[in-house]
Amino acid sequence: MATTTEKPIIEAQNLSREYARGPEHVNALSNVSFHVMPGEMTAIVGPSGAGKSTLLHLIGCMDLPTSGSLHIDGVDTAGLKDRQLTRLRRDSVGFVFQQFGLIPTLNVLENVLMPTLFSGRQEAARALQLLEQVGLAHRAKHRPHELSGGEMQRTAIARALINSPRILLADEPTGNLDSASGAEVLQLFKSLNSKGLTVVLVTHNESAAATASRRMTIADGQLVADIRQ
Amino acid sequence: MNRLMLVFNSLLRRRMRSSVTVLGVAIGSAALFSMLSFEKGYQDGIRAELDHLGAHVLVAPKGCPYDAASMALHGASWPCYLKEEYLQRVRSTGGVATVAPLLMNAVYSTQSSTPTVYVGADSQILDLKRDWRIDGEFPQDSGSCLLGSSVAHSLNATVGSSVQLPGIGLDDATKPPMVHVSGIIRSTGQSDDTFVYLPLDRAQALFKRPHQLTHMLVRLKDPNMLERVVSDLRGCDAGMDMNVVPVAHVFRSIQNLVNTTRMLLACVAFAGLFAACAGVSNAIMMSVTERTREIGVMRAAGASRGDVFGLVLAETGITTTVGAVIGMLLAMASGPAVEAWIRSRLPFSPNGALIKPDPGLMGLCVLVSVLTGLVSGMAPAIRASRISPVQAMRDSEVM
Ligand SMILES: Nc1ncnc2c1ncn2[C@@H]1O[C@H](COP(=O)(O)OP(=O)(O)OP(=O)(O)O)[C@@H](O)[C@H]1O
Ligand SMILES: [Mg+2]
Repeated sequence: MATTTEKPIIEAQNLSREYARGPEHVNALSNVSFHVMPGEMTAIVGPSGAGKSTLLHLIGCMDLPTSGSLHIDGVDTAGLKDRQLTRLRRDSVGFVFQQFGLIPTLNVLENVLMPTLFSGRQEAARALQLLEQVGLAHRAKHRPHELSGGEMQRTAIARALINSPRILLADEPTGNLDSASGAEVLQLFKSLNSKGLTVVLVTHNESAAATASRRMTIADGQLVADIRQ
Repeated sequence: MNRLMLVFNSLLRRRMRSSVTVLGVAIGSAALFSMLSFEKGYQDGIRAELDHLGAHVLVAPKGCPYDAASMALHGASWPCYLKEEYLQRVRSTGGVATVAPLLMNAVYSTQSSTPTVYVGADSQILDLKRDWRIDGEFPQDSGSCLLGSSVAHSLNATVGSSVQLPGIGLDDATKPPMVHVSGIIRSTGQSDDTFVYLPLDRAQALFKRPHQLTHMLVRLKDPNMLERVVSDLRGCDAGMDMNVVPVAHVFRSIQNLVNTTRMLLACVAFAGLFAACAGVSNAIMMSVTERTREIGVMRAAGASRGDVFGLVLAETGITTTVGAVIGMLLAMASGPAVEAWIRSRLPFSPNGALIKPDPGLMGLCVLVSVLTGLVSGMAPAIRASRISPVQAMRDSEVM
């Protein structure tokens, strides 16, 4: 679906992120440039501590680069205030974490609806439809502790999609799952991507990386390989 | 599903902690209400009693303890006396409208643990007690009496009946005297209800205090002349034996008398409230720390700093509101006990319940508690709003 006239949905120029750790500075990410077209499915791989999560947090507007420029969904993130970043994050990006991050006191349906508390949109019908889509309609009234890891992660995916973002970001989404549940989750990403959603996932898992159409390799804070498969 | 539900859920998640916190606020706000209510009731009570006295100046014997005023108000046996001849001196002082001479004596009887207070008076008293409504009339002869409403009730007396005065003539071998009830004072809500009024000469004979008085109540032609009349009375030749007390000063000296206790109570109440709020702040702070990851996820999902701040502050708001409302119920339930305890610590306190349900004051206490709570809830709310989504992801490794 990506045509040559389409603009990139993620556009990074010389992105750097430094952390001050005591007196020394850590270059978690240095001079990373790339762009992602709408509808791409990208896997970010690399050794531990390479800066993969750092990059994903920047793309998700959860963090700001020390230098470099980043456009998300056509918006320049440079100089945005926390309020504007929050809105961009809310409307354009969905997040899936390795540790699911479900709220234990809310049931599955309520967890999926949680982001709407802050967007003000009432999306109950959409939430049910999403649960249907991730195969959890029958679990709507269950609490997180009654679910398997795979079901928790699929709930988290439905939650990430409730505000209809154009980009889905996932940081090691299968890291806490057995291989069967992991495969289900990856299958779900694949099918969402096939409907036009842009997916970026960080992974250590070779078969997870293989499902993506593109593989970016980060090492020591630098983009060392970028291969379209 | 709304935000309030999120707030309640998070409070209900730690039931024990939330309950203890709420209880703390309840106790703090109950203490505040009890203190303020007592304070208000106390002032109103004393003011009402002094108003009811109907006098501008109280003349008591010199050498009497300073609380002559409280004896006059509540009724007591007096340890010292005034000569009746001073009455003329006082009456002839310029600016004096009415002087009521009184002989008061408290008599214990076997029937009751509280004494019966007898007051010898003449009809001048009627000029002071303008709010009295009497069924019947003031005693005209020495065989008659005027009863306060509650004495009349306990003696089963009606106007025109004859009663035996409690505690009188017990050691008399002859038959105890029967007295004609010439009148009954309708309930005043004051000590008068418990007094038995006798003609002055009869009381003087009965208590073997001929030509003696315990005190005089003086009403002025013009209250603005108080200073002058008081100094004239003190300066006259009988002034050596008389303690001339302006009633307005009685209010002040009673207040001074209980000042230290009032300060102590206020300190206890405010300290309690602050301790409770520190408890709230601490409990919410703990729960924010425990939920760091959850809050981070909310931030990632589009909650702004303000949203998170509001959610956490709402937790404080609900905790303190529920606590304060329970506190008001607690204050009502414990009112009599607390009142009795404070009274036992004060040298003088007015009759009647002092801690009363007072919607205005209750509203004020709830408001003060909630506001103090919200101020102490600022710290955890600000802390929560500063949780960055990234930090939250890294910090904890559990669900
Ligand atoms: N808040 C921080 N303060 C200081 N250093 C940090 C901070 N966050 C990350 N780093 C450092 O930045 C580097 C990159 O971290 P990052 O989490 O992006 O790695 P990663 O590729 O996601 O690793 P993993 O595969 O283990 O998740 C690491 O050296 C890390 O220690
Ligand atoms: Mg990582």
